[in-house]
Parts: sequence; C-alpha cells; structure tokens
Amino acid sequence: MRVSVDWQRCEGHGMCANAAPELFALDDEGELRLLQDVVPEELSRRAETAVRMCPVAALGVER
Amino acid sequence: MKRIVIVGASLAGVTAADALRMQGHEGPITLLGEEPHAPYARPPLSKAVLAGREPPEAVMLPPLGDDVEVRVGARVAGLRLERRAVVLDGGEQVPFDGLVVATGARARSLARPGQRGEHLLRTLDDARALRDRLEGRPRVVVVGAGFLGMEVASTCRTLGLDVTVVDREPPLVRLLGDALARLVTAAAVDNGVRIEISRAGATLVGRDEIRGVELADGRVLDADLVVSAVGDLPNVEWLSGSGLAAAGGPLVVDRRCRVAPGVVAAGDVIAMRADDGTVGRTPHWASAVEQSHVAAAALLHGEAAAPLTPSPYFWTEQFGLEIKLCGRPPAAGSRPQVTDGSLAERRAVLQWIDDGRPVAAASVNHRMPVGKLKRLAAPAPAATAAIA
Repeated sequence: MRVSVDWQRCEGHGMCANAAPELFALDDEGELRLLQDVVPEELSRRAETAVRMCPVAALGVER
Repeated sequence: MKRIVIVGASLAGVTAADALRMQGHEGPITLLGEEPHAPYARPPLSKAVLAGREPPEAVMLPPLGDDVEVRVGARVAGLRLERRAVVLDGGEQVPFDGLVVATGARARSLARPGQRGEHLLRTLDDARALRDRLEGRPRVVVVGAGFLGMEVASTCRTLGLDVTVVDREPPLVRLLGDALARLVTAAAVDNGVRIEISRAGATLVGRDEIRGVELADGRVLDADLVVSAVGDLPNVEWLSGSGLAAAGGPLVVDRRCRVAPGVVAAGDVIAMRADDGTVGRTPHWASAVEQSHVAAAALLHGEAAAPLTPSPYFWTEQFGLEIKLCGRPPAAGSRPQVTDGSLAERRAVLQWIDDGRPVAAASVNHRMPVGKLKRLAAPAPAATAAIA
C-alpha cells in the first residue's frame, strides 16, 4: 500500500498525524511531512483511517 | 467488551469504528446507518456538490475494512438498555456489549403541516434535490444566516441566481464576532446577496406550495425556492424510552463522552458537560473526530481513558472568503487584533484577546497550518497548566 498527499489541498489540520504518527507528522511550522509513502501492512488500517478523517480529502491510499 | 454496536454511519460513527480497532478492540463491530448510502462527508454538500463542481459520489468516505459490519438503510427505533439491544424499524433487535451513539442531528424545518416545497440541506439526498431545483434558475430565499445558510447563498450566487437571506439577527455575529461577521456580510452584499433582518422571525407563505417568506413587518419576499437553514435537532427520539436523553435532546455526555455504563456518544448528537457544569455543542468535523476517539477509548478503558479537552475548530468558504476559526470569539464588542494582512484587503490573520489571554484566532484567505492557528488561539502552556 502507498499513501499520497495532495499538497494543494493539505492545510495542516494534522488529524492524519494523530491517526498514523508513523506515516505523518507536523513540523515546527505546523506543515505536514510525509514520513514514508510505502505503508507496511501492519499500518494499513492507520493509513486508511487517516484518509477517512482528513477534512479536506487531501489523502489517498493505493494498494 | 465483546460486541460493539455503533448507531450512526457518518463521520463520528466511522471514526469511532476506526478508533476502536486502533485501540485494540478485536470483537465484532456493527455500524448501523439510517440513510441508504455508505458513509460520506457532509461539508462539500453546501459547496462543491451544490455548485455542481463535484459529483455527489465524490463525498463518499473511503470504505471501512471488512472487519466492520456496515448496515445501511437500518433505522433504529429504540434502545432496550436493560436487554443490551438496539431495536431496528421492523422490530429486529441488535445485541451489544458496548454502544456508541452517533445518530447526529437533522435539519430544523419551518414549514407548517401541509406546506410543500421547503428545502433543507443536511443529507446527500437533500443536496441532490436542491441542486436539481437550482438548475431551473429559481429566485431563492434562504431563511437562516448561519454558516449553512450563507454557504448556500454563496453557492447560489456563483450560479448567478437571485438570492435573499433572511434572519432575526445580522449574519454570523454570534459565531464569528462583530468584526469578522461584518467582513463576511460585506462580501455577501458585494456578491449581490440581499440580506433582510426580521427580528421577530419569518414565516413561510403558501397554502399548499410554498411561494415566499413573510417578514415580521408584513412584507412578503416572493420566491420560487425557499431553503430553510435554521439549525439542527439532535436525533435522540429513539432513546426516549431509555431515560438517557430528555425530549428535544441533546444527549449530554461527560468529558470522556460517556452516557451510561457501556454507552458512549460522539458527534452532532451530543452536548458535553464541562468541568464548570456548562453544557455545549460543537457540531463540527474536527469535534466529531476528537470526540469519537475519546468515546472509543472510554468505552474500552473507562476512567483510564484521557478526558477530552475540546479545541473548537471549524471552517467555512463563502463569497470568495476561506475562513478558519479556532476557539470562540468573545461576546459582541470585542475587536480582534490583526496580526497579519488587513481586514480591508479581506486577507488577514486575527487574534482575539480576552482578559489578557488569547481565546480565539481566525485566518481569512490566508494559508496558515491549522496547528499554528490553534497556538494563536490558545493560552500559553504555562497558563493552561495553572488552570488545570
């Protein structure tokens, strides 16, 4: 599974960083950083959860 | 706790299912949704979907994994708390060990019995029906100048329609404070919206088919299409026999989103009792997400779960303005500081100070990560520690 960010849409809400801190983090400025785009199997639910709760639909996953 | 039933298949319910799994619940989870659709996001309904910029399917949330049973078109009729079962329309009983109430709210209606043609906007089907009507280029009157009413008016103007908005109060003042509300109102007027203030309320006119809105001064605004956007009502009627919620709701929860042993709740259906005893609703996306996480943790871990410290946050897009607001602007009269940009240019960062402490912050057409805006809105950490 791979996760992607639409950087035009992302506004740094940070809900993905709460859902999947192994994959997403906010930097000191509050901007999103994608820590890894290849999602290990054990993190796939967290990745999908992050996609669902993004308020601006900026995230996607592909298997 | 073995079997968990979540009633309500919108953002709060879906997030609760995700959170239960993430926090280690391995037993069955059943998500019951009243609407015929799979779970979807509501914020685009009044904006991109209504404007026709996005197809209705674009709002569907990515589907839950197959370790959650999702049942759509399953309307709950009641709760048998002593038997630990939810009763569906038609009488089927769905047993549970733990229950998450996420039944949301429905739009308030102003139509009298027998009056036809009032449009509301809450569900995907509402949005489809309204969008279809807008294609006929009607003269529109929107009753209610809150976020939803103003967003609908804005979308109607982008479609070139004739729009009047009616409310008892000037638009958005209670939600955004004087200064920001005035800015939005000016943008609405610049965009060609007429705003009518009718302090004693307004009534829908028409014996059968609604054909306008009558103001308190007796004037009638003729309309081909009337949209009521006058708030929402928590969906608690199905709980009436259980003693959990008073008639008219909302469902009051503690700071861990608990209602009763083995019963938690989250989303638009709830009001949270704060430590000072006050009870408040925050029916917004971010609140639904944070409440669902706390509710899931409290259902699994009880008192050991961390209580929720609400951080109210919401956004709106209307009349060329993209506004994000953290915290609550203080009551009327308090002027925010402009920390960047300017109100005159309609591009600014605002901060409200009350009693020497920051209490709210907003960005207007100004890209700023939400975390940064929240820091502008919150007291310094030392002050927070002193309160706690």
